[in-house]
Amino acid sequence: MILRRLLSLYGLLFFVFVYAPILLVVIYSFNANTLNMMIWDGFTLDWYRQLFGMETSLTQSATFVDSTDQLWGAVRTSLIVALSTSVFSTVCGTALALAVARYRFRLARFYRTLMMLPMIMPDIVLGIALLIFFITIGMNLSMMTIIIGQSTFLISYVFVTVSARLAEVDTSVEEASADLGATPAQTFRKVTLPGIAPGILGGWLLAFIISMDDLVITYFIAGTGNTTLPIHIWGLLRRGIKPEINAIATLMLLFTLVIAAAGLYFRSRRQK
Amino acid sequence: MTLARRKLLQLVGLLGAPTVFLLVFFFGPLLIMLVYSFLTPGLYGGVDWIFSHLNYGRILGWADTRYEKFDPVFIAIFLRSLRLAALTVLASLLVCYPAAFWISRMRPGMRDFAIFLVTLPFFVSLIVRLFAWVLILRPTGFLNQGLMGLGLTGAPIEFLYTDFAVILGMTYVFIPFMFLPLYGSIEKLDMAQIEASSDLGATRFQTFRKVILPATLPGIVGGSVITFIPALGNFIVPSVLGGAKVLMIGNLIEQQFLSARNWPFGSALAMLVMSAVLILLIAQFRLSKKEAQA
Repeated sequence: MILRRLLSLYGLLFFVFVYAPILLVVIYSFNANTLNMMIWDGFTLDWYRQLFGMETSLTQSATFVDSTDQLWGAVRTSLIVALSTSVFSTVCGTALALAVARYRFRLARFYRTLMMLPMIMPDIVLGIALLIFFITIGMNLSMMTIIIGQSTFLISYVFVTVSARLAEVDTSVEEASADLGATPAQTFRKVTLPGIAPGILGGWLLAFIISMDDLVITYFIAGTGNTTLPIHIWGLLRRGIKPEINAIATLMLLFTLVIAAAGLYFRSRRQK
Repeated sequence: MTLARRKLLQLVGLLGAPTVFLLVFFFGPLLIMLVYSFLTPGLYGGVDWIFSHLNYGRILGWADTRYEKFDPVFIAIFLRSLRLAALTVLASLLVCYPAAFWISRMRPGMRDFAIFLVTLPFFVSLIVRLFAWVLILRPTGFLNQGLMGLGLTGAPIEFLYTDFAVILGMTYVFIPFMFLPLYGSIEKLDMAQIEASSDLGATRFQTFRKVILPATLPGIVGGSVITFIPALGNFIVPSVLGGAKVLMIGNLIEQQFLSARNWPFGSALAMLVMSAVLILLIAQFRLSKKEAQA
């Protein structure tokens, strides 16, 4: 009984450990103290106003100089990259998953193992390998190189997500559709695709979130002038710790939570 | 067109483009990196296409020419990264194992929600999660304020920029990696066996050591491997929480590419990391195969 209680206490502490740091960031993003951000000095929305370029009572020294324009530029870059990468990876990952699950060929098992490799490869290794590659073949570092680079490992994430869904879908319905005279294209569009749609959507969301957050690989192949959001924040951290970061972090948190909740919604539909 | 041919065409249609993409942009870069690790660094940051094994010699001990000197510091940094990664794995196990055990005993509805809560932070931006720890650990941070408020320490303790901060940070960001494999094997525990063990007079510790631990070993090994791998090559955590004082192999590689501009040497270091990872994966694969046969 004592052991049980101890275990429960430990479990609760575990969740405190997991969530307290994140909550602190959120709470202190509303702290009005401009001199010492660790001491609570009343509620304010000034840090958020600052981010949206509104009038604030903040002094120059309390904020990062011209970070607002850079911030929104970085958000824009991140969104474009994440959207392109996630769509491309979803198409490729889904195609591979379909081929491996629905066709019998000698390399199918080989593919399954191989697709794990990009996920397990340390990101610094992949990052510098891509940098060397792009420079050697004479490709200028740009948003394009970020999209290509991130896709190399995001395809695997989509592959795994869609494969899991394909394994759950009953193939007899597809066979019945073919027996009843549907063309392969019809079967795919009317039977297979709706069946795995939640998996595809889940894979896409996962790819989108990971792309938005990717720091290491993007850092090496972004070149100058293509700052994504994580790289921008990393740069701010190097310039100093200012409360503005709390507000940016909280907004990102909110954004991720919305996407994660959407993903969870689709996953729960899958289980039904 | 025969059915077999049509199937083949469909298959090629599905596999073709993604396969080519991965061959070119995933395996291509790794291959070029391997080639680079055997080239000679140029004088002004470029690369000379002359074969050289001295990039490895510099790390492992046989280089002694004028530009490519062996320096034991490189292997020391590598060993240090191995140590920090191993300690991270150990800390993660201590943090996650009891928690996974606790959650596995919950009611099904609660359980799913608890697992969701554990995995959710994985989707929170890495840099945000690390920033949170900067706020907690720095000299004026929450931890020091708390300690001083309680009168446990007079002056702020330097938590940030230490090995402790790096291990803590890595443990924190890799929690889902360790938790999920652990949970997977703890969930499958046979409760009847545990009860039988205690009915037969085993102490709690004996039951844990002889029954629970062996049964959950696959989860422990799996979680350890996928925590160890990203920890070993990590350079974001040591550069945010470790400052300049805590150098890991990832930081060293980054330096070769961005400040020292010695790409062949950086490639050799990266090959070292990749080999360590591959050896680990193969060992784990063999081990799990043996277990499946037994």
